[in-house]
Amino acid sequence: MSAALSQEALRALADGWIKSGRKVIGPVEAQPGRIVFKPLGSGAALYLGAWAPTVNSIKEAVLPRHEKLYSYRIHKDGIQLMDEPEAAGETIVIAAHPCQAAALPVLDKVFNWDLADEFYNRRRAALSVVTLACSSYDDHCFCTSVGLGPASEKGSDAMLYETGGEFVARTFTAKGRALFGDAAEEAPPQHDGPPVRFRAARAREFARKEFDSPFWREHSLACLGCGVCAYVCPACHCFDIVDERRGDEGFRARNWDACQFPMFTLHASGHNPRQRQGDRQRQRIYHKFGVYPEKFGEILCTGCGACARNCPAGLGVLPMVTEIPDAEPLQA
Amino acid sequence: MQNLYKPDLMTVTKVRQHTPDVKSVSLSFQDAARAGAFHFRVGQFGIFSAFGSGESTFNICSSSNWSDRIEFCFRKVGRVTEDLWSMEEGDTIGFRGPYGNGYPVEQWRGKDLIFLGGGIAMPPIRCAIWYALENRGDYGDITIVYGARSVRDLVFVDELEEWAKHPRVRVIQCVDPGGETPEWTGEIGFVPTVFERANVPAQNAVALVIGPPIMIKNTIPVLERTGVRMSSVYTSLENRMKCGVGKCGRCNAGPVYVCKEGPVFTFEELRALPMDY
Repeated sequence: MSAALSQEALRALADGWIKSGRKVIGPVEAQPGRIVFKPLGSGAALYLGAWAPTVNSIKEAVLPRHEKLYSYRIHKDGIQLMDEPEAAGETIVIAAHPCQAAALPVLDKVFNWDLADEFYNRRRAALSVVTLACSSYDDHCFCTSVGLGPASEKGSDAMLYETGGEFVARTFTAKGRALFGDAAEEAPPQHDGPPVRFRAARAREFARKEFDSPFWREHSLACLGCGVCAYVCPACHCFDIVDERRGDEGFRARNWDACQFPMFTLHASGHNPRQRQGDRQRQRIYHKFGVYPEKFGEILCTGCGACARNCPAGLGVLPMVTEIPDAEPLQA
Repeated sequence: MQNLYKPDLMTVTKVRQHTPDVKSVSLSFQDAARAGAFHFRVGQFGIFSAFGSGESTFNICSSSNWSDRIEFCFRKVGRVTEDLWSMEEGDTIGFRGPYGNGYPVEQWRGKDLIFLGGGIAMPPIRCAIWYALENRGDYGDITIVYGARSVRDLVFVDELEEWAKHPRVRVIQCVDPGGETPEWTGEIGFVPTVFERANVPAQNAVALVIGPPIMIKNTIPVLERTGVRMSSVYTSLENRMKCGVGKCGRCNAGPVYVCKEGPVFTFEELRALPMDY
């Protein structure tokens, strides 16, 4: 597909995908100025206005906030376990910013080291991601500080570039070609990304070496421990496993969890290795910039800025990390 | 689909009550093929569950040589353990595992073994003691120092007495001052001091030390004075877990996933980790 797509043509394409029985998730203006990823009822719902960040992330397509792992029935003489039916079929994410897609190859690592998590994998295999290159950014964006940019292809099967109100599509994978055909366009001129705001390597070094520094406490005083940073993050993937039972039937499910909650690490004995909110904020930074890169070779942060944008107390990765001594980018 | 989170169903074959709030449970696999194929290393753990309440993480406290059953031991402290407490013979419990690294019992061959435990930490030591006794020729002298707050908080007391009858096995039981009864014949004092008083030669020993943080903290200097290397002193961490398979992000202690790279660490390894456990 070499011709540029008008907005109408793009919506019609999404309608075609929906009519073919696929689930299409895209940005929707839920309230004025509040853009959220949602399953689209039709292409008309797709938000294609001026550049705007989304509130939530596309990780819900691979790691739902609530997912049944299996069900059970309690009989007099034992327990019967029942597998959940196969998850929804093919899913397409459309018009997500590249920082959303970039988290997927990062998440693939943790869900597949040693043992494979098939709940994640089957959703991931059925997912195609069509990103929309960023035409702008806001003060919270920092993709360029974590090795990404406004048109990073990481995790995208295809990417749309907006030029003069129309969209040019490029494809990177077989999944992308299945949606847009073979003819890949030259990359159109790209927009500038946000300036590099900090050195990720310094964040990693500081979190590792200054584990016990008062820095973490001092910079977490405002934290309410609400966990919204983790919920809106495209890369945060911690979960809880819980039972729900009604009468003789029940199921075990995993729900999103967050390292900002005191209960997250509370031992049965009452001991808690992370007693203070500062310990929990440190964990969030250390896991993203230290632990995960060491273990899996990838920063567990794509610079989307959703944590800070949504934090009721003005915290988040960027506000925290830029306070780290010597974190500012080196001047050329 | 291979479902990582779906447990094996196991039947409760025996329940023993050790203290007013501690029980141990024996389980056998309901699936015969699974029972035949199952094996584990002492020191590994499982995720045990009561259907309707949820899952909890416990050490498999039986020896890996016992092919007919696995056992775990728990204190009644929350929703899941309240439910497990009510289990009787014939009831069904869910089990996922074995998970984690376990004790390097092959590396321990030819060494004297020192087991130091406090309170509810006896079960993860018990599996190693039975294993060593069942492979007696592989190991030298065995010293067991086990303490609890009070006489009624000691668990596996009958087995402690049984172990003491074995040749080249020394068992010292102790309770915290004030925790003794008029009939108490064991020591009165804390594990570290009781162990130091016992003058156990440790030059050719490995030690397994499990207990509350304060016990471990006070035991390490005593062990250092005996000359045992910190690379030969082991413990088992207890970080809270949910998945057990390195996904849910909960059990990190600094850079390690305790569920995968632990729960067993030497103190040399622990010293390289931040205090995140």
